[in-house]
Amino acid sequence: MHRFVSFTLDGITHGMIYAAVAMALVLIWRGTRVVNFAQGAMAMVTTYVAVSLIDRHISYWVAFIVALVAGLVLGALVEVTLVRPVENKAPLVAVIVTLGLLVALEASAALIWGGRFRSFPAPFSIVGLKVGRSQIALSPFDIFTICAVLVVMVGLLVLFRWTSTGLRMRAAAFEPEVARLLGVRVGRVLTLGWALAAVAGSLAGLLVAPKLFLYPNNMDAVLVFGFTAAILGGLDSPVGALVGGLVIGLSLSYVGGYLGSDTETIGAFVILIAVLMVRPGGIFTRVNPRRV
Amino acid sequence: MLEVRDLSTAYGPVLALDRVSFDVADGTVTAVLGANGAGKTTLLRTISGLVRPKEGSATYDGHDLTRMAVEDIVRLGVGHVPEGRGVIQELTVEENLRLGSLWRRDRPDRHRALGEIYELFPPLGARRAQSAFTLSGGERQMLALGRALMARPRALLLDEPSLGLAPLVTAQIMSRLRELTQRSGMTILLVEQNARSALSIADQAVVLSLGRVVLLDQASAVAGNAELRHHYLGF
Repeated sequence: MHRFVSFTLDGITHGMIYAAVAMALVLIWRGTRVVNFAQGAMAMVTTYVAVSLIDRHISYWVAFIVALVAGLVLGALVEVTLVRPVENKAPLVAVIVTLGLLVALEASAALIWGGRFRSFPAPFSIVGLKVGRSQIALSPFDIFTICAVLVVMVGLLVLFRWTSTGLRMRAAAFEPEVARLLGVRVGRVLTLGWALAAVAGSLAGLLVAPKLFLYPNNMDAVLVFGFTAAILGGLDSPVGALVGGLVIGLSLSYVGGYLGSDTETIGAFVILIAVLMVRPGGIFTRVNPRRV
Repeated sequence: MLEVRDLSTAYGPVLALDRVSFDVADGTVTAVLGANGAGKTTLLRTISGLVRPKEGSATYDGHDLTRMAVEDIVRLGVGHVPEGRGVIQELTVEENLRLGSLWRRDRPDRHRALGEIYELFPPLGARRAQSAFTLSGGERQMLALGRALMARPRALLLDEPSLGLAPLVTAQIMSRLRELTQRSGMTILLVEQNARSALSIADQAVVLSLGRVVLLDQASAVAGNAELRHHYLGF
């Protein structure tokens, strides 16, 4: 029983990180219909930005904020310089561009910061809290992780639902041509979408680094898990991203916990393939009977 | 004043518009008529900037629209209600309407415009919080029209507003359009398959065939010329 509780708590914490990655993928998918395979690598780069500052004895929190802002800028930059030029080409072209970016970013990071594993600090203790006399698998940093992702998720949800900018983003996502006819500057909206996605991704990178260490491809597995979560949630649904993230986090935690941690990645692929076979639309997408 | 001069638009090797020229005076209604594939929709899409012409110009109040971005053409006061109406089904009725005026700085007037649209089309007010997906065909047309009016356009390009609507609803929409031009001096370029109802409110008619203007005359003259009507318009 104690093991089950530990795996569950661990699964929730990791699930929130996958949810943040899934959210980033969903944001970009909704706006540009591109799966951004470089999402994890972009987060890795911004995490390196943070660690470079921390190495210079700058406070964790300043580095944290700078990394998120760096994500914002990087996301916008990638959209404008790499994705925009191929937006009218076949859909696969943009996907290949993001794959190329993934390789380029990982290689550049290795050149700039070296390929070795680096530790990354956590702002709170990573030692599990004590309940009574037993220690549980939930540390103050895990609580921070859960809260930080929830804040970003709720923030994005509020932005989408209740602001003019969110209305523009939704309109541009659903009907870009109609949105333009109504005066929405769709190009800018898409750039904003990529920027916000990269913030969510960067957050995931910062939160996962204390657990995983930081190295040029430390986000590869996280991206696969986040992608599986996004597919599970339907790729189009922010709520689906959250639930998908939690489901993946919990499943992998149980799989890894009971079957050995080497099986986690295989577990993720099994889930991914199962979802694609059984419900390719994901759980949270109503397959809308759209008129053409 | 909207001036279309020698406008040619091509899709690859296919010429969809072939040196089309005509003027639309302020506060008048011009019906663009013709069979399927005559180039009517392409004409509107070229004027509103969605497609770039091969040659020629479309000038509104001295601005060459063929060199402007779609988003800026709206800001100039030229609204376009696209074919199939372009209602965004994933948004509510009110979100659709608000979207039409988001670019305008004048917030109080945006709010006022919303009230006016609900007055003009009462069914929309009753369904303001509902998803646009739930609307009937006639209500969707009202929504598309109302949403374009939220921008307080000076000129409106309408693509087949009667498509799929019952004759009675079509008649209502047409009379609303006539009211709008008379009350606010709005200029309308109206693309229609339903020539009879379009001519009933138009001042001028442009008849297109295979991308060319084959007839440009007063609407009453076109409606009165039985041979022409029969040949090009099928009634």
